[in-house]
Amino acid sequence: MQGRLRTILAITFVALLAIGGPSAQEVPGGQMPVRADQSAVPVAPAVQTPEAPAEPSVTVLGSWQAQGVLGREVRSSAGENMGRIVDVIVDRGGHVHAAIIDFGGFLGVGSRKIAVDWRALRFRPDSAKRDIITLELNRDQVKAAPEYKDKQPVVVLGASGGLQSLPSD
Amino acid sequence: MVPRPLAVDEAEPPHPSKRSLRGLDWFIFFVADIQTGFGPFIAVYLTSQKWTQVDIGLVLSTGGLIALLGQMPGGALVDAARSERLVAGLALSAIATAALAYAFVPVFPVVLAAAALHAAASCVLGPCIVAMSLGLVGHAGISERLGRNARFAAIGNGMAAAAMGAVGYLWEPRAVFLVTAILLVPTLLALSRIRPAEVDPDRAHGGTVVLKTDHAPADDVRTVIRKRPLLILAGCALLFHLANGSMLPLMGSVVTMRSSQWATVTIAACIVVPQIVVALMSPWVGHYAQIWGRLPFLRIAFGALVFRALLFAVVTDPYLLVAVQILDGITAAGLGVMVPLMIADIMRGTGRFNLAQGIVGTAVGIGASISPTLAGSLSDHFGSSVAFFGLAAVAAVAFTAVWALMPETRASETPAPETRVEVS
Repeated sequence: MQGRLRTILAITFVALLAIGGPSAQEVPGGQMPVRADQSAVPVAPAVQTPEAPAEPSVTVLGSWQAQGVLGREVRSSAGENMGRIVDVIVDRGGHVHAAIIDFGGFLGVGSRKIAVDWRALRFRPDSAKRDIITLELNRDQVKAAPEYKDKQPVVVLGASGGLQSLPSD
Repeated sequence: MVPRPLAVDEAEPPHPSKRSLRGLDWFIFFVADIQTGFGPFIAVYLTSQKWTQVDIGLVLSTGGLIALLGQMPGGALVDAARSERLVAGLALSAIATAALAYAFVPVFPVVLAAAALHAAASCVLGPCIVAMSLGLVGHAGISERLGRNARFAAIGNGMAAAAMGAVGYLWEPRAVFLVTAILLVPTLLALSRIRPAEVDPDRAHGGTVVLKTDHAPADDVRTVIRKRPLLILAGCALLFHLANGSMLPLMGSVVTMRSSQWATVTIAACIVVPQIVVALMSPWVGHYAQIWGRLPFLRIAFGALVFRALLFAVVTDPYLLVAVQILDGITAAGLGVMVPLMIADIMRGTGRFNLAQGIVGTAVGIGASISPTLAGSLSDHFGSSVAFFGLAAVAAVAFTAVWALMPETRASETPAPETRVEVS
């Protein structure tokens, strides 16, 4: 609980910095993580006319084409209930590596968070044309995986023969 | 001539009607149903509503914090109330409102407020039920009554767990909250069966010594806080819940890890079996606590906890695990009756019975809050077996404390309802 409270305070602090950041005339671009020294510098007076920001491009996705993943149920190829997706693991290059599923338990008692390889998930509708997420693992394979903990190395479970470690940099 | 003070309940022995007693039975049953719809299930529901884990954690923590901080104010509120039925009805309406908010408006600020409201209302409702029981039957009959209360609460919990699980599975998690809100109707009906005239407010607060005038002021709060048996009971309750709070969740996690096919059913059985044991045993416990005293049952309950923790550390077979949960039932039956009973014994004549419930409730809440952190860190670093041994050690400390420090609280002569007793 302590860790979560600290996380919330840290996120709030960074959010406040982020609000203070762009007013110092830096175009964010790929520099979204706000550096602390930026806000320490007093903001230049708003006499300069800000440049008109470039128009963002807009794409429309049909709701049958794409949907969110959080909270959606996951089933194994055999139709077993594998839980729900509760988080997504992304590396610094923006590549999605794993999904965290909340697996097992009854009425919330005994459930565990397990990281599964993103490539082991299938998002195609099943034979009955229902929109479900299929995991190419069954309950026996997933049940004994170590639990996912925030801020600790993520142990990702994959369908056989597909995983590579991230290059250390 | 100075009027002889008489304790309220001995002066007019209570004769609650069958209608009121039945009403109380069903009231407790339905309240247990309602409360089962909350609990760990909220995390499941919010997950299905695409909430992030951080937000879910915030809601649960807020609820837990308010449930902890509100125990004593809630108890003091019930002590100050002149109509326990009204307070119970208002608390119930608040809980039903919270359920509706969960079901229909699952956005963060609303859910946060609903969690806070539910926690606060529960802090009031819990002492209120025991206070109404005491108000109806007085100190002479409270032992049996609490046994009966525990029976109906266990039946309510067990049936609701099965029903809510089915509803959540067949429809959607949100439906559970609708059912919870609908249950308000039979609960209020049951509450209305309790005749207001029979719930004497002074008796419900622990009875004060009256001098033939209006209600005498209750004991000073500081006096209450310094009562040694109460503090010992609170401390033992804290240690108990420190050990017990995360035993079942940790076991559930281990079961999920070990067996996939029957994991859900095993965990469901682990939840229901203790409820069955409590439903069967509690009235017997309530009856014999009046005859044999409170301590034997308290000691057995704490001892069973130590055994259970040790067994959890070594047992692997799912069937045996469900059998070990029978010990959980024994503990729950013993403690569920003894704790409010001993508080009633200790607070007799003070008029601060509900505040004392709040004090013990706070201790319970502190223990239960620390428990998952303790068990979690032990389990992460050393594995689940060591975690269970650690919990067994805490339970052993609690058992020793109960054995060495806790005095018997049953009044040495319990006056028969027909006799008048002079309180010197």
